[in-house]
Amino acid sequence: MKVYFLKRFLELIPIFFAISIIIFVIMNSMPGDPLLQMRMQNPRVMTNDPERMRELREYYHLDDPLPVKYFTWLKSVLTGDLGYSSMYKSPVIDLIASRLPNTLVLTITAWLIGLIFALPIGIISAVKKYSAFDYTTTVFAFIGISLPGFWFALIAIIIFSVNLGWFPVSGMATYGIRGFWNIFADRLRHLVLPAFVLGLVQVASWVRYIRTSLLEVLDQDYVRTAYAKGVPDRKVIIKHALKNAMIPIITIIALDIPYFFGGALIIETVFSWPGMGRLMYNAVISSDYNLAISCLMFLAIITLISNLVADFLYVMVDPRIRMGRKGA
Amino acid sequence: MPKFFYKRKLDEIEEKARPVHINSYRQLVWTKFKSHKLALFGAVVLIGVAFFTLLGPLFVEVGYEDMDFSNLFSPPLTEGHPFGTDELGHDVLVRVMYGGRISLFVGFASAVITTLIGTIVGLLSGFYGGIVDRLLMRFVDVMLSIPMFPILITLTLVFGSGIMNIILVLTVFGWMGVSRLVRGLVLSIRETEYVMSARAMGVRNGRIILRHVLPNVIPIVIVSATLNMSYAILAESSLSYLGLGIQPPMPSWGNMLQRAMNYILGTTTGTNPWWLTVFPGFFIFITVLNVNFLGDGLRDALDPKFVSES
Repeated sequence: MKVYFLKRFLELIPIFFAISIIIFVIMNSMPGDPLLQMRMQNPRVMTNDPERMRELREYYHLDDPLPVKYFTWLKSVLTGDLGYSSMYKSPVIDLIASRLPNTLVLTITAWLIGLIFALPIGIISAVKKYSAFDYTTTVFAFIGISLPGFWFALIAIIIFSVNLGWFPVSGMATYGIRGFWNIFADRLRHLVLPAFVLGLVQVASWVRYIRTSLLEVLDQDYVRTAYAKGVPDRKVIIKHALKNAMIPIITIIALDIPYFFGGALIIETVFSWPGMGRLMYNAVISSDYNLAISCLMFLAIITLISNLVADFLYVMVDPRIRMGRKGA
Repeated sequence: MPKFFYKRKLDEIEEKARPVHINSYRQLVWTKFKSHKLALFGAVVLIGVAFFTLLGPLFVEVGYEDMDFSNLFSPPLTEGHPFGTDELGHDVLVRVMYGGRISLFVGFASAVITTLIGTIVGLLSGFYGGIVDRLLMRFVDVMLSIPMFPILITLTLVFGSGIMNIILVLTVFGWMGVSRLVRGLVLSIRETEYVMSARAMGVRNGRIILRHVLPNVIPIVIVSATLNMSYAILAESSLSYLGLGIQPPMPSWGNMLQRAMNYILGTTTGTNPWWLTVFPGFFIFITVLNVNFLGDGLRDALDPKFVSES
């Protein structure tokens, strides 16, 4: 077991470097001269003097060949220096540190909401195959995967914020609220709508997936045997069927974590949620290289970690794999 | 009573034992597909949408850029504008038709290209195995670990957001799923008796791949192509929402929806111009929904396992 995970972990290192190269090359092929960009944002400091411009270009290593640039960047990143954001005028690491928790709160809540809805719905519609419940959820699942997320989000805002006034339209907190519980309640009120939208969008595809994999298991001989032995239905489903169906389900649910971060980008934009997605989007839009690269790399690392977690869970749940690896 | 019971049982057995005249796999697929009502419905609706967008503009004289200044924000069924007009007096019906051409083209083209690339990579990786497999699959891992949506945004900023660039961006980061699927399937096909016997007879690798392996992965490829198409249409609309999709004045369902969002709260116009959201949104929804229906039906119809059971 330990050896297997050590191996998996070591495998991530070359992948990490490959990703960093791809992201670096893409970001460096972005249009726009960073120096001109900086001058535009702060004309006081910069001059039109070509001599001074050349000095600055040299200072920022703007004319180095791409591989040299990459290694310079890599060296500073590995020593913990992510650079300085030209847009926000502060170190990149501080910006990410202030935004990452917001995104994590949003995505984890959404992920849990998705799970809480998808699991029971998927299980019931598999157990009661072709029932009214099954058909209803299938129809809703199809509708769910056929709508753009942002559209769903806007409709939710119109209904629940504008018309009903239950939740705030956007943002993450109201200013001027005091007291721990008041702040907590206020944060929660802001969180409900974006988290639900982000989570429920995923429910549709999860329900379909859970239903299919449970149906496959329910068709197995050992389930029929359990029924024949007179094991109560509940016990058959939970102990015999679900336990086996969980293997593919867990994998897909863990592998979908990165999609939440992708989806969060759109949802954060719609709800003006101050998270990583919006930070990255603004960085890319205004060619803030250091910030954009760091954000992309952070999201890539999160993806790698969630893949590793999926792998880990997969092995934990399925003893056959555990045994197989040991033997090999 | 028992006699009656046995009679019925016998009938049933006879029914099952009656020789069925089966001519070809293709026929079986068609029979199976026809019985899948939802898929048939999906196919009909998609053909309808395709005709509407391709042939529709031939019957109207108004172009998608023509403005009718006497009719801004006209509700549907205003004279001459069955779907109403937008903030610049563009006819919504006409724009929905032209926008549909673009959205469908983006969806279809990127689905075809991603599936093609994914299939080729999957075939090579699964069939040759070894170092080829390991390199290609590591590359797939790398591509899958790059956060998709942020990179889409970056790439559209790098390449610009024309139709071809949107397709390019969606395909460059869209083929990995198909390749994994195909590879998995090829790994098991490679070990089958018919492939081995072909090998024993000295058939060249290229021919084995084309004649023996490829036909068996086609079903799964077609199904994932439909899923890719629905994904591409939704992705284009999401890119448009961020202002990075197809650029106005050229319409796409995505960017029509995005522009409509500016007015949906009714604060700028006093009224809520719901028709600006409803029509493009409805067409995205109908198209993607029916592509999904079609994919579901095709999966049931094309899977040989299901066919032999029926």
